[in-house]
Amino acid sequence: MNVPETQKSFGRDGSEFPNPLPRPKDELQKLKRAWEPPRGLSFITAVNNTYVGQWYVGTAFLFFVLAGILSLIMRAQLAAPESDLVSHSLYNQLFTMHGTVMMFLFAVPAVEAASVYLLPNMQAARDLPFPRLSAYAFWAYFVGGLVFFTTIFFGLAPNSGWFMYPPLSSLKYSPADNADWWLLGIGFIEISAIAGAIEIIVGVMKTRAVGMSLDKMPIYSWAMLVFAAMIIVGFPAIILGTLLLELERAFDWPFFIAERGGDPLLWQHLFWFFGHPEVYIIFIPATGMVSMIVPAMAQTPLVGYRFIVLALVATGFLSFGLWVHHMFATGLPKMSLSFFSAASTAVAVPSGIQVFAWIATIASGRMNLTTPSLFIIGFLFIFTLGGLTGVMVAMAPFDWQAHDTYFIVAHLHYVLIGGMVFPLFAAFYYWVPVASTRALSECVGRWVFGLMFVGVNVTFFPMHITGLIGMPRRVYTYPVGMGWDELNLISTVGAFMIAAGVALFIYDMIRNFRPTLDDNAGNVWNAGTLEWLPNSNYGTRTIPVVKSREPLWDQPGLADDVDAGRYYLPGTVTGGRETLVTSPFDARPQYILQVPGPGWQPFLAAVFTAAFFLLLTVKAVILSAICGVLALGFVIWWLWETDLGPIRPPADIGGGLTVPVYVTGSMNHSWWAMIALMVVCGMIFTCLVFSYLFLWLVNPASWPPSGTVMPGFLPGSTAGGLYVASAILVAVASRHLRGDDRRSPSSVPLLLAGAVVLLATGSTLDLWTHWQTALSPSAHAYGAAVYGIIAFQILFVGTSVIMGLYTIARWLAGKLDSVRRATFDNTMLFWYYTVGQGTAGLLVVYGFPKLVGGA
Amino acid sequence: MTRRRFWQVFMMLCGFIIWAVQFTLIYGATSTTCALEVAETRLLGIGIVPAVIAAVTLAAFLCTAGVLTYALREHRRLQSGNAGVTDIFLSQAAILISAFSIAAIVWQGLPALILPACA
Ligand code: HEM
Repeated sequence: MNVPETQKSFGRDGSEFPNPLPRPKDELQKLKRAWEPPRGLSFITAVNNTYVGQWYVGTAFLFFVLAGILSLIMRAQLAAPESDLVSHSLYNQLFTMHGTVMMFLFAVPAVEAASVYLLPNMQAARDLPFPRLSAYAFWAYFVGGLVFFTTIFFGLAPNSGWFMYPPLSSLKYSPADNADWWLLGIGFIEISAIAGAIEIIVGVMKTRAVGMSLDKMPIYSWAMLVFAAMIIVGFPAIILGTLLLELERAFDWPFFIAERGGDPLLWQHLFWFFGHPEVYIIFIPATGMVSMIVPAMAQTPLVGYRFIVLALVATGFLSFGLWVHHMFATGLPKMSLSFFSAASTAVAVPSGIQVFAWIATIASGRMNLTTPSLFIIGFLFIFTLGGLTGVMVAMAPFDWQAHDTYFIVAHLHYVLIGGMVFPLFAAFYYWVPVASTRALSECVGRWVFGLMFVGVNVTFFPMHITGLIGMPRRVYTYPVGMGWDELNLISTVGAFMIAAGVALFIYDMIRNFRPTLDDNAGNVWNAGTLEWLPNSNYGTRTIPVVKSREPLWDQPGLADDVDAGRYYLPGTVTGGRETLVTSPFDARPQYILQVPGPGWQPFLAAVFTAAFFLLLTVKAVILSAICGVLALGFVIWWLWETDLGPIRPPADIGGGLTVPVYVTGSMNHSWWAMIALMVVCGMIFTCLVFSYLFLWLVNPASWPPSGTVMPGFLPGSTAGGLYVASAILVAVASRHLRGDDRRSPSSVPLLLAGAVVLLATGSTLDLWTHWQTALSPSAHAYGAAVYGIIAFQILFVGTSVIMGLYTIARWLAGKLDSVRRATFDNTMLFWYYTVGQGTAGLLVVYGFPKLVGGA
Repeated sequence: MTRRRFWQVFMMLCGFIIWAVQFTLIYGATSTTCALEVAETRLLGIGIVPAVIAAVTLAAFLCTAGVLTYALREHRRLQSGNAGVTDIFLSQAAILISAFSIAAIVWQGLPALILPACA
């Protein structure tokens, strides 16, 4: 690879560009052919970001409308006192579904979806690095989400509030399947969100335009990077929480049942360790959008780029120190509460920094009052108000007064609608010209804004007062004469104004949104970033070299040069889909990533994964297992077609650069994805150990409960020894698989087979040992916690075993050698992780009770 | 990612990592001592909880101040040579983040001076 340390600069003189003109005649044709979308019914097998991104955004918007309709029904019910439009039990389902759908099926997917569409365009990549993964994440969400929503029509919808607190959501008080729908449905949709986040991290770090070093990365990319990092750290907590609660409901493992040593507060910790960052997870991408739109509207670069990066990173960290502020009323020690109070007020600082940076940008340019600008101004106003009430409720004593009243409903809607919905609408009006032949109507847009802005304030402002004068949240009706009647009526009128605004927006979309691949409306706002380059299904014709944050402003003629084929990679060098991978910091070309194309596998894998979870909810265990196996089968089939190896020698991409079409090790994109996945797994495990320790603190005197037989050290250390031995075998196999000569020694499958046996034996031994001591998972929280750790390890051992066997199969099929070894590397990383986790688990289970002197 | 880059990113995020460690330690110490009912223990006349919080906060403060000093020196060094833009950017980010973290760390430790441990 001959990649220069510093980028050449290119002038207007054609000879200085990486590729000379005229380009060979069939070059563009070949590129187009490689990226041709599938036709007919197989259209749904499209995987590239232009399609999946738009479907994804559309589906998220559909859920916004559906959850919005639920809120209108609630508002209609609350318009007058003692109304009987909906029953008590339906109301419970309505607010639970509204909150859940808005948070999990609209807000997070919407911002993730927008980035699937926008990120590659903004970074001049041809696609995201794992398009099939995005397609899988989308379809899983689409099918799972819609089925989940239909439960409301059958009275089966979850009804314990969007945060599902036990004991209300436990089997005793919610014996029907409603809660299971939430636990399995939402737990599963979180997995889809995590898949998307991993894709985003790798996409931002590795597929940027040449020269787009960290300091030139669009703020939106920074925001999405922080967003994705927060997802992989925060979402594991809720995944674990839902797992534990489902284990309790299905098998009576008493994690949250106080009589048997459990503690409902554990759920609150797990939920809010995810739940509060979740709010910022929703907000941060929205601020990223705002930071892109404001400069374009003011026609001047963003003020305080570095400070905004600081603010994003700061929010990412601090937001993990806030979770207990949702638990101020639970009786925790005041000192503990105050830590969270401190962090809750501190987190307002980075948000403030961003607000000031936007205002400074607006002030330093000349803001055009377009529809996107109006939505931004609306955002600033509404979000700031929500932020102010946020600082109020961050004070524990105030919160004790406002807790569970309409004051909170007002606060949360001000921040969520201000912080996310308004920026999203700004984004729709701003970015539609990238995807459509026509922009949306400015005139209709102003009405949409006006109705929504006035509507939101009319709906939610009075709720502050209703709350302060005592109206609790989540009540299906209220008696006459409490002084709440007029305020509620006003709120209902406001809600219908918002609905009118949204309906008008849909009308505007129907009238003007005409999706296109090659013929978009163009750079209508004279913006400076790369998504406004001429593009198609393959992204931009060539991958440009950028020298500033607003290349379109600073590099005259860039659009024409990119489109004429003057920059890097003007065609396809492998004949298939590909994108250029650049180094994570300086964005120097590294290699060509062969991007997988359309296929039924991700679609079918997603449908069967969804079916697996949904059927499990209704306890159709056998059918569900069949679907699980099918899903796994399709995933394996899909993976089988990847990891193509160096199908051709390093290729010339222009400018004297020759880059390989395949790399392995830490440069490889799937290596990065694997590391991100391991962070996710590590976080789930950390939360599990936290749960174990938390339950110990609840039962310090009975850990383990008296009468428990503790296994000796021998079985534990043997299991650990087997784990470590299996890792050693994998390491040896890795050594045998080195060299440039494409060797493929037969010791590799043998060593892997040995490792499979050792690993499986280790975890079986662990389980068997505990079973022999007659420890019951349902008698006490101690047993539940121990078996929780063991079961989690078995899950990982099972996955490692499948990966090991898969890698052996690749060897048998001649698809694995010392150069083509990305599959092996992935298995190896996962293996090491499993062994590490297993060893840590053994230390906790065998060692901790001894350490605290309980046994 | 080269070792140098890894170090730069680590230094950039270091302030917040220290904040996170401080947060975990002081929250963990308070919860554990309160749950085990040993929070009333006194060391040299100071309650164990405020003592731990003060010690952890001081340590976190000193570490972050060290990171800030390092980042400032590194920045000056880079600016005098002909370092790449990414290096300069990362060192600037390290300065901003560690300065911000110092404030966050002090703020985080303040409650220990005011409130009783387990009430
Ligand atoms: C667009 C107009 C909206 C209206 C009219 C509306 C209305 C409502 C109403 C009436 C409730 C139930 C209050 C109660 O009985 O306690 C509620 C709860 C809630 N809403 Fe909205 N909402 C809107 C938008 C949103 C958005 C955009 C989000 C999130 C992104 C959201 C998230 C929530 C949550 C999390 C709850 C709490 C649910 C629970 O108590 O379990 N809402 N909303």
